[in-house]
Amino acid sequence: MKSRIAGMGWVTPLGADLDLVWERLIRRDVAEIRQLPNPETGRIHDSMPVPPKLVEALGRNPRLRRSSPISYFAVAAGLAALENAGLKVTPEISARTAIVFAVSDGGVQYTRRFYEQIVKQGANTASPLLFPETVYNAPASHLAAQLGLDGATYTLVGDATVGLSALHFGTQLLATTDIDQCVVVAAEECDWVLCEAYRDWHFARTPLAEGAGAIVLSRAGRLGIETHPGVPFFQQSGATAALRRVLSELGPGDFAVRSANGTFIDRAEANALGNAMPELLPKRCLGEAPGASALIQTIAATLAVQKSAAQRAVVSVIGFNQQASGARISR
Amino acid sequence: MGHQLLCYTSAVSGKETIAPRRVAVTAAGVVSPLGIGLEVNARALWEARDCVAPVTTFDVSKTRSKTAGQVGDLRADGDGKKWARLHPASRMMILAAREAQAGDPEFSPELMVVGTTSGGMSFGEQFYRAQVAKARPHKRGGWLANYLPQKAVLDAQEACGFSAPSQIIANACASGSNAIGHAFNLIRAGLHRRVLCGGYDAISEMVFVGFDSLQASTPEKIRPFDRNRTGLVLGEGAAILALEEMESAQARGATILAEITGYGISTDNHHLTQPHPSGIGPLQAMQRALASAGRSPAEVDYINAHGTATTFNDATEGTAIAQLFGDHAVPVSSTKSMMGHSLGAAGAIEAVFTILAIRDGFLPANINHTETDPAWPLQIVANETRAANMRCAISNSFGFGGTNATIVLEKP
Repeated sequence: MKSRIAGMGWVTPLGADLDLVWERLIRRDVAEIRQLPNPETGRIHDSMPVPPKLVEALGRNPRLRRSSPISYFAVAAGLAALENAGLKVTPEISARTAIVFAVSDGGVQYTRRFYEQIVKQGANTASPLLFPETVYNAPASHLAAQLGLDGATYTLVGDATVGLSALHFGTQLLATTDIDQCVVVAAEECDWVLCEAYRDWHFARTPLAEGAGAIVLSRAGRLGIETHPGVPFFQQSGATAALRRVLSELGPGDFAVRSANGTFIDRAEANALGNAMPELLPKRCLGEAPGASALIQTIAATLAVQKSAAQRAVVSVIGFNQQASGARISR
Repeated sequence: MGHQLLCYTSAVSGKETIAPRRVAVTAAGVVSPLGIGLEVNARALWEARDCVAPVTTFDVSKTRSKTAGQVGDLRADGDGKKWARLHPASRMMILAAREAQAGDPEFSPELMVVGTTSGGMSFGEQFYRAQVAKARPHKRGGWLANYLPQKAVLDAQEACGFSAPSQIIANACASGSNAIGHAFNLIRAGLHRRVLCGGYDAISEMVFVGFDSLQASTPEKIRPFDRNRTGLVLGEGAAILALEEMESAQARGATILAEITGYGISTDNHHLTQPHPSGIGPLQAMQRALASAGRSPAEVDYINAHGTATTFNDATEGTAIAQLFGDHAVPVSSTKSMMGHSLGAAGAIEAVFTILAIRDGFLPANINHTETDPAWPLQIVANETRAANMRCAISNSFGFGGTNATIVLEKP
């Protein structure tokens, strides 16, 4: 399905400015690594956090004062994308806007803290202030409140392809409802328990990272985007074939933004893509932000086309255990 | 704006102007505390059975509420070892999907849209407890692989031999209705012909304590729309519906269980967990769904309400129903009174219940009812099932984050 990209924004461990982060990605700058210790076992994990100063202005927002970092990232990226699209938040604009938010793991910090209270202090001490922020759609709700939106707000969950699923979902909303634009946002935050889980699950070859990406889809944006619904695979051995099908249905590109993260995904992706075109591997610089990375890749691909580094940039994503997916950006 | 369905020459898809397609439900499957399967659930609904019981799967000694609607152990389906590794959410989804598949063996989905709120949360809880205990049990890899929300959807697909892309909606307690509604919109607009949709959620300690901490759950009976209501009781389950473009379903001679004719969604920004007291969120969702269906409030024969029995939800929903339906004495019940609130599954399960009620001609009861809250003039189907010939019903679902969804279901 096709739609247009009207605006973009991101909040990453390398910064929040579109052009500056793009330049750092091209230079292969690697974001600062912070060590996250597991206080229970002492195991140390590497992570790539978002510098707090990038979202500190949102701390004065009354609606966000008790929120988890993921909501700050989502709101900051969403508002930046709207600004980049030249859209001022007015009641008229909000009335014709939908939100699709994507996430893999969600508000893990509050979730871990809430369950920690249950386990260590007893269920009768668990804080009612924490629980609402553990819900997957809390960041989308906060963003909707900033926009004063009363229409469609959706949150999608899934593996690392979920950002692309959200773009496809947003395109479906543009095709089936009377909205003028859809703000697609994907975000993730870090916590030691998440690092521990991905390491135990053998997916921590790249440091887990925080961040968010946001794209405003519309019918009249600057660049075209073709989204794909994804192809499921039930065993890792099926990932190459799934991605090959995605890429063949999207059509050829001359630049690839890959999801390689040091796991089985690297080989499967290399097998499907070959080595015929220049490529960018953002996770080597920005880490693995499971639910957010695909949207960050898509923004990087869009910048590649915008800056004439490519005519048709392909985004390739293989998830951990759901599907392979992709998108293609063109003028 | 209602974000109503458009049928036009799309600048996005490039398609020619299309007439809205009619959307049939050709099969369904359900696993709930009332039982496994459509007919078992239909009988339990007829009998207005109270299926809420003391919680058995985790310690509730320190919570105010102690009961829930629970599905219990599910019989192994196929490979016993593999079945044992699956999360209960996957087991429920497999059984619901298998029933839908058996009901329409020719149905092959192009897409799967499923709602959930917490995936395999109890496996995440076990993983955390193992960290605290400084233990590294061998099965932690299985906990992680089966914890993620997409796993139950993939397990159901694999069990049924399907291979379709999936979209998993986590719009809190409206998720199941949103999944059905989005699938409906895609077929109605001609973007897909066959979509499998539904919702699931399995009860977990963290979510149970969460509602308890908010004092949203009750230590007593769940009494939706009652003057003496004291809160919700949690439940669990899964439901799957096979949606198909009507002409296509009729052409191949498929059984049509019901027709979905409308869907409305709204967002209420008042508060993360509390609806605006004016009822604007539910009101907009119902208005938009009826407009989408081309129906007036007077044509609605039954409302399967969200009806969680919390002070705020029922007040908001009751106010919205009273405002929209005015003098039209439409019967209202919340089937959560029989099985509790199954969160991401609720919208899908209640859509299936509404289809059964339309098919079999009865109004499901709102049990444990003592006295309707006099704040709104609602016609509650109190305590006993009533026979009724229904043509058109709506099902409401509202969730944290201010998401509200209504779907319109009609006799085919």
